[in-house]
Amino acid sequence: MVFLKKLHKWVGLLIGIQVLLWLTSGLMISLLDPAKVSGAKWARPAARAVPLPVENLLEPDELAVDLTRGALSIELKTTSGQAVYEIIRAGGASLINASTGLLLGFSRQDAKTLAQRDFSGDGGIDSIEKGMAPDMETRDHSGPYWRVNFKDAADTSYYISAGTGEILERRNNHWRTRDVFWMLHIMDYSGREDFNNALIITVSLTAIWLGISGFLLLFCSFNRHEFNFLRVWRKRDEVLVTLITTTTGDPRVIRLKRNSNLFLSLAGKNIDLPSICGGGGECGKCRVKIGSAKLFAANAIEQALVPKPLREQGYRLACQYEIKGNITVYI
Amino acid sequence: MIKRGNVLSRILHKWIGLVIGLQVLIWLTSGLYMVVVDLDFIHGDPLVQNMQRPIVIPDSSRVSIAALKKRYPNASHIGLRPVMDKTYYTVTTADSRYLVDPATTEVISPLAKETASQIAVFHFNGDAAVINASLITADPPMEIKTRRLPLWRVDFNDRYSTSFYIDPYSGRLVTRRHQYWRIFDFLWMLHIMDYDERSDAHNPLLVLTQVAGLAFCITGLWLLFYSFSGRRKRKLAEG
Repeated sequence: MVFLKKLHKWVGLLIGIQVLLWLTSGLMISLLDPAKVSGAKWARPAARAVPLPVENLLEPDELAVDLTRGALSIELKTTSGQAVYEIIRAGGASLINASTGLLLGFSRQDAKTLAQRDFSGDGGIDSIEKGMAPDMETRDHSGPYWRVNFKDAADTSYYISAGTGEILERRNNHWRTRDVFWMLHIMDYSGREDFNNALIITVSLTAIWLGISGFLLLFCSFNRHEFNFLRVWRKRDEVLVTLITTTTGDPRVIRLKRNSNLFLSLAGKNIDLPSICGGGGECGKCRVKIGSAKLFAANAIEQALVPKPLREQGYRLACQYEIKGNITVYI
Repeated sequence: MIKRGNVLSRILHKWIGLVIGLQVLIWLTSGLYMVVVDLDFIHGDPLVQNMQRPIVIPDSSRVSIAALKKRYPNASHIGLRPVMDKTYYTVTTADSRYLVDPATTEVISPLAKETASQIAVFHFNGDAAVINASLITADPPMEIKTRRLPLWRVDFNDRYSTSFYIDPYSGRLVTRRHQYWRIFDFLWMLHIMDYDERSDAHNPLLVLTQVAGLAFCITGLWLLFYSFSGRRKRKLAEG
């Protein structure tokens, strides 16, 4: 038990702040509304699939070989009323006009139209920028994109692929807040997505000892009488404790509950024994001399904190002492 | 009443710990598992192969897009994708999907049990045999809760109890699950305290427990201050 306490407080000192960060970031993440974080709350439902146009379209074997080489899949579909081939390659997707066979690109104006069509929140477009490589907000994607910034309260930014016109991400301040807390939670301060990093593995392996020691200490921290909540009103459970202040020698008799902890019972009667640790059996300040017919053996904590000659004279730690019967306490 | 910070924080820390101590231990243990076990392994990346096979563009003189449009006038998507070593046409209409053999014009979907098993073996990176294949049409297991049904579930006799899920209408390996994924998912459920859907971290039980957890942690840090200041003063007294 002495060892468990030591372990618990040293591990707590070492990583207590990170445990606080885990709980704070976890709480913040679960308070945020996922529909706001994903931007789905302000996204209009996707257009329903429409039958392909009947006019003559190019067959896949009529497309330029360069455009289809290495394709993992090809699909003919309709986007914005236009029949297109979507070509998926290992490196990403591209769109081909199914009537002309030409590679499609999406301009600033197209990106603006696509973003405005999807976004249902308040506020017009503030600015449009082009990005060539993924940044923190588009980290799951590749290829050039348009960033369309809205003037709404949540500073929404739409990311639209310059190659396929696909809405890559709908980012806003809810997402940005979550992302910072997620970074703190998984302790990946650069990429914010790898939770198998060496730092968090180390800290988690340390933290588990805080948990295990704390859990075991829980069993030694309570005695069964603490759960007998009705006892407060039961007069017959009381014992008489005679307090003698050694400096003045004045005796004083008080009633305390049988089987309760001496230190806490006295604190409950506004008699504050000297203590730094607050009754944890760590500072040894709450030392008192017990005068009783039957003195119980000192426990491991008392053996560590009360010198042997004093223990033999009847000195004990009040925070370790369970009142069993009428006693005299010299404080 | 208790007025001193050291006594108060100790009592609070102990009683809050009694209420949520077990959940805190669960948070730490489940967190440790998720952090220690490699996520790519959990996703089953080492279990699959042949996932990026280029298609072979068929000769449109046999089956053309134009002919498929005539056969399925409501088709919204017509594509080409590989199923094992061959390329097939895929057709999506408002009510169904079809896999069409470009050589024979034959519709091969929905795929039979044997074909689904062959596709699973084709993508499985290992020697283990298929021990079971079953079509899931309703009441999907937790591990494919969000997926579109029906799906063929093909189980392998390997040390991870791997299951591959094959879409009978496209021949695609939709997802793969194994024992360590299932453990991860169970621990994730315990971690976010969403015992029904296992996906919603925005739930009142979790928020409430975390608020208590925060109080637990703060009283602990508060106590730490007393625990260590006692040590310094004792040293001084002894010295």
